Amino acid sequence: MTPELIGLLGIAALLVLLAIGVPIGVGLAGVGLLGLAVLISPEAAVIKGGVIAFETVMKYELGVLPLFLLMAHLCFAAGASRDFFDVAARFVGHRRGGLALASIAGCAGFGAISGSSLATVATVGSAALPEMRRANYQPGFAAGALAAGGTLGSLIPPSGALIVFGIIAEQSIGKLFAAAIIPGLSQALFYMVAIGIMCYFRPALGPKSARVGWRDRLIGLGRIIDILLLVVFVIGGLMIGWFTPTEAASVGVVAALGLCVLRGAFNRRAIGDAVASTLRTAGMIYVVIIGAILFASFISVTGIADVMSQWVRDMHASPVLAIVFMALLLLLLGSFLDGLALMLLTTPIFLPIAVELGYSPIWFGIFLTRAMEIGFVHPPLGLNVYVIQGIAKDIPLGAIFRGIVPFLVADFFHLALIIAVPALTLWLPSVTGG
Amino acid sequence: MHNDLDAGEEAPSTPEGESVAARVAFLIGGTGLFLAMATDAIAVLGRHTGFALLGSIEVVQACIVLIASSAMVFATLKGAHAAVHILTERLDLAMVARLARLSAVLSALMFLILAGGCLWLVADLWSGAERTELLHIPIVPLRLLQIVALLFIAALFLRTLFRRGTR
Amino acid sequence: EHVLTYASPYPPGHPFSRADREWMAEMERASGGRIAFRPYWSGALLSSDMSMEEIRHGVADIGLITPIYAKGGAHLLRVQSGFYGGVRDIAEQIAVYDCLAGRFSGFAKELHGLHVLAVQGGNFPGVLTRTRPIRHLEDFKGLRLRAQSDAVDVLKELGADPVNMPMSEVYSALAKGVIDGVIAPADTIKSLHFSEVAKHFTSIRFSRGAYPARAISDKAWRRLPQDLRDLLSDGRRTWEAALNRELLQAEADGIAFGRENGIDFASLPPEEQARFDGLYNRDAARQAERLRSIGIDGVPVFEAAQHLITTGSAGRCTRGGKL
Ligand code: NA
Ligand code: NA
Repeated sequence: MTPELIGLLGIAALLVLLAIGVPIGVGLAGVGLLGLAVLISPEAAVIKGGVIAFETVMKYELGVLPLFLLMAHLCFAAGASRDFFDVAARFVGHRRGGLALASIAGCAGFGAISGSSLATVATVGSAALPEMRRANYQPGFAAGALAAGGTLGSLIPPSGALIVFGIIAEQSIGKLFAAAIIPGLSQALFYMVAIGIMCYFRPALGPKSARVGWRDRLIGLGRIIDILLLVVFVIGGLMIGWFTPTEAASVGVVAALGLCVLRGAFNRRAIGDAVASTLRTAGMIYVVIIGAILFASFISVTGIADVMSQWVRDMHASPVLAIVFMALLLLLLGSFLDGLALMLLTTPIFLPIAVELGYSPIWFGIFLTRAMEIGFVHPPLGLNVYVIQGIAKDIPLGAIFRGIVPFLVADFFHLALIIAVPALTLWLPSVTGG
Repeated sequence: MHNDLDAGEEAPSTPEGESVAARVAFLIGGTGLFLAMATDAIAVLGRHTGFALLGSIEVVQACIVLIASSAMVFATLKGAHAAVHILTERLDLAMVARLARLSAVLSALMFLILAGGCLWLVADLWSGAERTELLHIPIVPLRLLQIVALLFIAALFLRTLFRRGTR
Repeated sequence: EHVLTYASPYPPGHPFSRADREWMAEMERASGGRIAFRPYWSGALLSSDMSMEEIRHGVADIGLITPIYAKGGAHLLRVQSGFYGGVRDIAEQIAVYDCLAGRFSGFAKELHGLHVLAVQGGNFPGVLTRTRPIRHLEDFKGLRLRAQSDAVDVLKELGADPVNMPMSEVYSALAKGVIDGVIAPADTIKSLHFSEVAKHFTSIRFSRGAYPARAISDKAWRRLPQDLRDLLSDGRRTWEAALNRELLQAEADGIAFGRENGIDFASLPPEEQARFDGLYNRDAARQAERLRSIGIDGVPVFEAAQHLITTGSAGRCTRGGKL
């Protein structure tokens, strides 16, 4: 059997394991270990497993992930996600689809605290969804807006996906964060335009609510000024260079603790809950990362990556065409693979090809994250959709997926824009010097 | 990227032993989180006020081992490992139970192999005085902590197997 | 006939990797095709700080090893690379290493389970600064510099403020003024784009020693017939020459690139370099001394290295290490 064939068998075995419900990290690590044992030797596989397991848990750069998670959970305990949505709703709630617009803004705002798509959709969704349903929004539309909006959390910095990309691609995380700002904001804009268009043609999707006076709006704004300051301080300080991305997470946690004190949420229970949620999520992520690195190691020994990049080269396609092809492949893989696993698996294969085609690794990280995000909402395995369904069990999955379709259209246009105009991504990091 | 909301179900019951384990994991992980936070924050403060906290990265690295090891245990105790449920939610209960047992065996085995690899390295490096460069923080204890965590996770998976088996 | 895997944490285009490929091609040719290599680049197979352990256990047959980054099990190999103060060039670095490795059994002990296929010297790091050039040792005062850990104590003595941060963050830290400079060899001006964020390069010979850098596992070694073992042993010269050439080329490229891109180059006056060497050597002696706490006697190694360098006698010491 050739190594390439063993690689294909390994991928097939992984898909089977995942389908029968084996934890993703276990499936990745198990196939990786077995594959290395077959291709090299059992001894080598066991040693490699030990090396990767320890290297991963001692990686300084990866340590930011739990700290950013903690910051987000503390902000959540302090009521940040609800307040973001509330304020946005006061400003635009009286328009058609206004609460949906507010949801997107709320997601973008909370996305600037949280590094993850699922955390964003879960926290903003739990505040916004009941509100929209009270206002008689069509449930599928409301759920769709939130599921899509949640993906802003993984692009707008801080971004867990970009941290992981930065580590495997050996790129500056600060540069990646700077590069993500314009694409993240324009993505939110695209969603808002999509909502505007939908509600223009079908006003019943999102009926108007009562207008809130300017006085109440400003009072609302006053309530989130502390959170806004925190966001500006952490993201701004990182861009100016007061601290490195890794330190920004710690500084953010300190600031978030301050926020909890300020808002009277500084008590044992709230802090304890935030720590527990952080550990639970971080533990899950660490297992997936260890698994993915082992699996990637196996895949690179099989030489499949070389075969694939040779295909791309043999196609002699234009760079743009090759990238579009990659995007399609990512969307396909993203329909059944977890986003983190997808990123860890494809970066070693696709990044060298993209660089050879003349794309900057920073741009590629944004592109990859953006394509991966779409996988969070598209069927059959849009994880955000399952989160939304967890909040509102009475909305059928089918209705949510139907509600997402217009946002997927917006996603495709936005992805096309990122491919067509790399400057959107690369301009800001060139100005701030990373 | 993933996060917190339990996509899956909470662990069905939390017997005394597991809640003690959860508390230990919680304490170790929490200590790591706040120690890492304090170290980095003081390093930043120091840089802007003129005192140097050299080796802060090494302290943070040691903290991350505490965080990651305890977090993996905690996630296992809370049944929070990410898994795909599209197929399994369409099968009948007996089949689901059988697949869950298979999955528990595979998971336990995988964590045992990882623990084995880590143990082998520790054995090789036992007399090698493995330590960080600047502060000379010894690394072997950190490796041992991780090994204990991995072995405990394997045991947890095996335990769900027996619990389901006797039911 | 014999397919050997080769693994390196560096990407295929890196100067080290170019030398590696040159060596592989030469070995395949010289063996008349009886040896073939399957290379894995970019850390696909080997990590950077555990590679010695990994090769011992057969993760790769041959690989790039970096005892200078190992956190344990190779303390003598790591610290001895700081014993070369006053050394003149890369060839002398390697010659001194060979003498030391032949004379002190601690070297072989840390290399157990491995056969060294190439020893590598390094370019002398200098200081790259953003705005304030370093013309004299006094100029170090108050500068915040990113440095590898073995230079930390010397920099402190000079009044600088050494900081530790991952190399991947150095570019943006320089761009934003989080640090004033970095201790790095001249090739980084080009390879890490430091010319975009720093203005001055001062060559100060932070003397860097040689260390074993390529090795084959004992298991793979024993699978080979004697004539092929001899071939690989002799291939050491090819590999070292290629590495030497690539290192110098990378340095020259970095300097040329820096000149085109407005970097101002300077060097210390000779008497200050000598003072610096003195500081550096005192620190190396202290580090040798400190090895005693983990049961390694580094002082005689340090003294022998300095004797070889000051008398210029490293070249007369045979490969076996006997003087
Ligand atoms: Na975010
Ligand atoms: Na997906």
